Amino acid sequence: MLILLTGGSACGKSSYGETLAVQGPKPLYYVAAMEPYDEECLQKIARHRALRANKGFETIERYTGVDALKLPQAGGTVLLECLCNLTANEMYIQPDAPVDPVQKVVAGVENLMGQTDTLIVITNDVGSDDEAYSEQTRAYIRALGEINARVAAMADRVYELVAGIPICLKGETV
Amino acid sequence: MILILGGAASGKRTYLASLGYGIEDVADGVLDDKKALYGLEKLVAADPEGAERLLPALLEKEAVACCEVGSGVIPIRYEQRRAREATGRLCILLAARAEKVVRLVAGIPTVIKGA
Repeated sequence: MLILLTGGSACGKSSYGETLAVQGPKPLYYVAAMEPYDEECLQKIARHRALRANKGFETIERYTGVDALKLPQAGGTVLLECLCNLTANEMYIQPDAPVDPVQKVVAGVENLMGQTDTLIVITNDVGSDDEAYSEQTRAYIRALGEINARVAAMADRVYELVAGIPICLKGETV
Repeated sequence: MILILGGAASGKRTYLASLGYGIEDVADGVLDDKKALYGLEKLVAADPEGAERLLPALLEKEAVACCEVGSGVIPIRYEQRRAREATGRLCILLAARAEKVVRLVAGIPTVIKGA
């Protein structure tokens, strides 16, 4: 089972992702893609850690190369957060060794699908404003848009979160 | 309280008017004693840290309209990111307490909570 959660910033994606994940079979892994490069990231990570506390998640930090990630135990549930960070990391962490971010991130999702019963993937809607950005940023918007479309095509269920309310875009309605 | 969400220029004010709220009933980005509030995002942007303190006053309103500001590229400026997040989190709290949540897309209202 692959479930994709999308939406803008602070729309309740993480919280809903955790609600779905704790209903899945154990073990429960949280694959964190946010690299803590400044104080704001550390605060976000601390907030997410507090949200997940006592819910039984084992956290795996993986900023790039999820396509090569081997989970300690197969057959459980993974909450992957999030494709927006993962895509940015694949594009910008090692600019001297460019990879195809679309191929790399989609392969990462496929890799986790092969090792889990339930995979919940969080992404972000970064394309819903004007295009007044640098070529580098536009390349990121295009890459994440394509990744979102490809993961949504593979997914059993897709929800958009609006103010904490899940709106079913594909699959079963809650 | 009915919470009305949608992007910029998505039809929130027209929807408020369709509910019977005239211009005299709708405050624009300020907290006063009018029945409805439009532009909650402006109130939050003025004081992101104090956003949650607005909650009791907002719950007294008959209708609150807020722009969905969280989509699109994450802004480079910290103040903008902070305002977006504060707006989103306040809307989650409001939506959880609202009797009804309506989302506007291209002028079309979709009830996403309540009836």
